[in-house]
Amino acid sequence: MADFIKHPVVELPDRKPEPVFGPDELVFSEDEKAQVKTWISRYPTADGAIMRGLWLAQEKFGFLPPEVIQLVADEIGIPYANAYGVATFYTQYFKEKKGTYVLDVCTCFSCQLCGGFDMLHYLEEKLGVHKGETTPDGDFTIQEAECLGACGSAPMLQITNGPFVHNLTEEKIDALVDALREGQMPAFTSVTLPQDEDELGGNRRTDVSATDTYSVRPVSETVR
Amino acid sequence: MSKAGDWRNYQRVLLPPVKDLHKLEVYEANEGYAALRDVVTTDKWDPTSVTNEVKKSGLKGRGGAGFPTGLKWSFMPPVDPDIPRFLCCNGDESEPGTFKDRQLMEYNPHLVFEGMLIAAYAMSIKTTFLYIRGEFADWITLMEKELEKAYEKGFVGKNIMGSDFSCDIVIHKGAGAYICGEESSLMNSLEGKRAYPRIKPPFPAQKGVWGYPTTINNVETLACAPLIIRKGGEWFSGIGSEKHPGPVLYGISGHVNRPGVYEFPTGMLITDLIEEVAGGMRGGKQLKALIPGGSSTPILRADMIEGVTMDADSLREAGSMMGTSGMLIMDEDTDIVSWLRRITHFYHHESCGQCTPCREGTGWLENIVTRLDEGEGNLRDLDLLIDLCSQMEGRTVCALADAAAWPVRYTIDRFRSEFEGKCKKPSPVASAELATA
Repeated sequence: MADFIKHPVVELPDRKPEPVFGPDELVFSEDEKAQVKTWISRYPTADGAIMRGLWLAQEKFGFLPPEVIQLVADEIGIPYANAYGVATFYTQYFKEKKGTYVLDVCTCFSCQLCGGFDMLHYLEEKLGVHKGETTPDGDFTIQEAECLGACGSAPMLQITNGPFVHNLTEEKIDALVDALREGQMPAFTSVTLPQDEDELGGNRRTDVSATDTYSVRPVSETVR
Repeated sequence: MSKAGDWRNYQRVLLPPVKDLHKLEVYEANEGYAALRDVVTTDKWDPTSVTNEVKKSGLKGRGGAGFPTGLKWSFMPPVDPDIPRFLCCNGDESEPGTFKDRQLMEYNPHLVFEGMLIAAYAMSIKTTFLYIRGEFADWITLMEKELEKAYEKGFVGKNIMGSDFSCDIVIHKGAGAYICGEESSLMNSLEGKRAYPRIKPPFPAQKGVWGYPTTINNVETLACAPLIIRKGGEWFSGIGSEKHPGPVLYGISGHVNRPGVYEFPTGMLITDLIEEVAGGMRGGKQLKALIPGGSSTPILRADMIEGVTMDADSLREAGSMMGTSGMLIMDEDTDIVSWLRRITHFYHHESCGQCTPCREGTGWLENIVTRLDEGEGNLRDLDLLIDLCSQMEGRTVCALADAAAWPVRYTIDRFRSEFEGKCKKPSPVASAELATA
């Protein structure tokens, strides 16, 4: 826990890094261009589409180096500086290359009290890297996340800005890492409301394959 | 005294016990879109009467500030056909301890859409934005799927249900910034800028997104609108506390046996919520403290909650706020200093960096609390922290600096002995010198 203030507060990015993607890679397909057009049409000015544009680019390229931000800015028709400003403001846009799976472990507020740090440290030990680092094989990046809005099923983590994994335990992390190594993403998990459990006898959505319940781990000797 | 009446037999309305309520046909079979149909196709309602009904209901915003919703709607300037107007539904939900809107979007998305459309009708708005935080990627997909169905049915879009009222809903995906929950920075984020909050006035009703009149409401607030139209403002004002009425989604987390999102009237006794609703303390431990409504509301000690109910007035008397009604329960083993340290880290991370008192202040709060937590702090650091809080509160464009300072101020105020216990002890020599001086 002590290390989070030792990082420099401001890390100045390299002004002119070597481009990661060559000019022939840096193109949107016709389908993607059409998507951008649709998004532009939904806002009074084209600027509004920048966030969706960056999401689209991140899905395609994995992260957002300056040349990709330039590509999005050109496609939408706004200045590069604006797009760069947006891309660097939000934490979910990756500015550098990450692992195939980014594991965002929440340690904030409820998750802290329910063992979020234990889960983070367990994961760090298991994968042999610290938070903010990527495993040498490029499979996993571990990050410490701020509140992800799943406080009732704490501790939890999010996989690459996608599915949530609720009620983490060490066994659950083991199984998750094994599954991800084999390329299996966990399905969307619907957390059953306690009142639904009483009144409907379970989850109200019949169209979800995976359900979980709100719960808290029992008091143990080692984990508070 | 509980103000929630017979809450044990309370019938849920925001999340009624119906299987697959998220499906359009199921929602329709359960009086879904009936309120909207009533509003847009019959002469019974016009924009003013809808706003008045919401005013009569006494609905207060559920996003944290608790501003009367009907009054907010009436701040919109008179309709000018040349000037577009916008409604934003705030689904950014990133206050630590708050997880209710996500459940509403997962289990009753059409109620949210219907609420947005009714609000849009009341203020003669043709475009509405639903801003959902980027972390809820799965829920954005679910909402988009349901929205498409509503479009196909003609409930959203051009000439809704054959009337002359048209309204579009655009779902905007955020990308991970707590500050976007603040209404003016949400507007900047929508416009495709860095999400810096704007100075007020001008208020959003005068100059909002793209400089046009805008109203911003929380997801849960707007979800109450169809219920008010369907059952009447009087029915709504009769639920729960008199001055802060209506159903509320309580998000209970932390050291309780059954955490989760519960729907009950306002004015529930906090003790009832912990002991009966959430199944009591985990492992039979004692309650130490609780946060009533998200990380920025002041902490309450266990001895401060006797007879306190979950509504604005009672919590103000007790020395806290209703906030988002995301409650965090802490048991006797909780280390308050470590807990506060993580909160200060959160605010330091999420400060947008626009105003100096907040950008620098949140960093120093974290540094000093960390020093205390590591046992390296001195007693004077506590006064330094309080002083720092005073330098931050009310001196920034938005309320994030206040939200960061309050937990520190009130936690030191209410748990001072714990902080003192972690301070460095003065050396015996120095104490002796002091005693003889």
